[in-house]
Amino acid sequence: MASMIMASSKPVITIVASSSSPSKPKLQKIPQLSFPKLPTPKFLKPQQIPTLKSISLLTLTSFSFAPPSLAVEIEKAALFDFNLTLPIMMVQFLLLMFALDKVYFSPLGKFMDERDSAIKEKLSSVKDTSEEVKQLEEQANAIMRAARAEISAALNKMKKETQLEVEQKLAEGRKKVEAELQEALANLENQKEETIKSLDSQITALSQDIVKKVLPL
Amino acid sequence: MNGISCSINALNGLYDISGVEVGQHLYWQIGGFQVHAQVLITSWVVIAILLGSAVIAVRNPQTIPTAGQNFFEYVLEFIRDVSKTQIGEEYGPWVPFIGTMFLFIFVSNWSGALLPWKIIQLPHGELAAPTNDINTTVALALLTSVAYFYAGLSKKGLGYFSKYIQPTPILLPINILEDFTKPLSLSFRLFGNILADELVVVVLVSLVPSVVPIPVMFLGLFTSGIQALIFATLAAAYIGESMEGHH
Repeated sequence: MASMIMASSKPVITIVASSSSPSKPKLQKIPQLSFPKLPTPKFLKPQQIPTLKSISLLTLTSFSFAPPSLAVEIEKAALFDFNLTLPIMMVQFLLLMFALDKVYFSPLGKFMDERDSAIKEKLSSVKDTSEEVKQLEEQANAIMRAARAEISAALNKMKKETQLEVEQKLAEGRKKVEAELQEALANLENQKEETIKSLDSQITALSQDIVKKVLPL
Repeated sequence: MNGISCSINALNGLYDISGVEVGQHLYWQIGGFQVHAQVLITSWVVIAILLGSAVIAVRNPQTIPTAGQNFFEYVLEFIRDVSKTQIGEEYGPWVPFIGTMFLFIFVSNWSGALLPWKIIQLPHGELAAPTNDINTTVALALLTSVAYFYAGLSKKGLGYFSKYIQPTPILLPINILEDFTKPLSLSFRLFGNILADELVVVVLVSLVPSVVPIPVMFLGLFTSGIQALIFATLAAAYIGESMEGHH
């Protein structure tokens, strides 16, 4: 089908090309201009063409007198015209693929993957530090507990020491007090005895007096 | 006769006004072969845009991405996502192929819709999206075929061909036919969509030069993007299909 369309379109293309750019290499290949359905320009050979203007005029008139099918043929051009463009596009695409892989897909993909793994590593390491924080907290708690125990021990020790001291002092005081009491009691005893002794002597004198007074001798 | 010529004149006039050039090519001669120069020129522009923007944006990647890098990272993640959903876990080596397929078609289609190619006058034919030409789309579709054959053969060796008689040998002709219909449908879908889209815009512009074609142009942009996505997704799906093991 493609070849059919090409075949039908090729002469039209050569006509248009001849009116616009006569320096194309393709023209030399087809020296004979062929107008399949028109009798009028048949006598024209390329050597006899006077000017470009006249041929364009001729083509215009031929188009205007042509049946609509010829006019349609202008549009029915090489849609399915396969040629060297196809392999060139393949090669171009492959080259583009390798080039893009070199400058875009591989480096950026690698970079993104590395960043992903780095972020994941950082996240996991953050989890690790939370454990570390827990450890540190436990350590701090332990230290606090130890300190509290030490303090309470010191407190107890101090309490005991002060109690002992206090008791000692208390005992000393008691002893002192007792000694003084003893002394005072001894003093009192001495005084009692002295007063009893003096009282005894006085009692004898008094009893003699009483006897003297009572017994009138 | 006079009436006929009158009507034909009017018809010619319409052709002149609309200026629709379908299948008109600027031919270059390379070693005895002809090429469509306008397709090659526009494809070079597309390739230059792709490579240039990629080099500029990804030249010095930052941990906290800049705007351009961010966009390219988004595109890459999108391509990876497409490949991963279609191919599966072994999508890695196919990202460049799928990605280039998507980006090349997408930028080609949008260049046809957005870049003012028509300003540049060619001696013959006119500049348009490279995907406007059947050569380009068939080239891409054939590459896709080669890619999925390569994927299947490299994964399973000659055991790949056992898929032709799966699930029953009766389906052998249909399975073989599939290898021909896949590139055919891929290339003709893209070619037809882009060509039709540009034609609709050109015809509408020739009829009503202002306002009316704008929604159609936006529709064209949408279609272009969708077509690129469809082509890339289907290519990835074919590759994944030929790689997956049948149980």
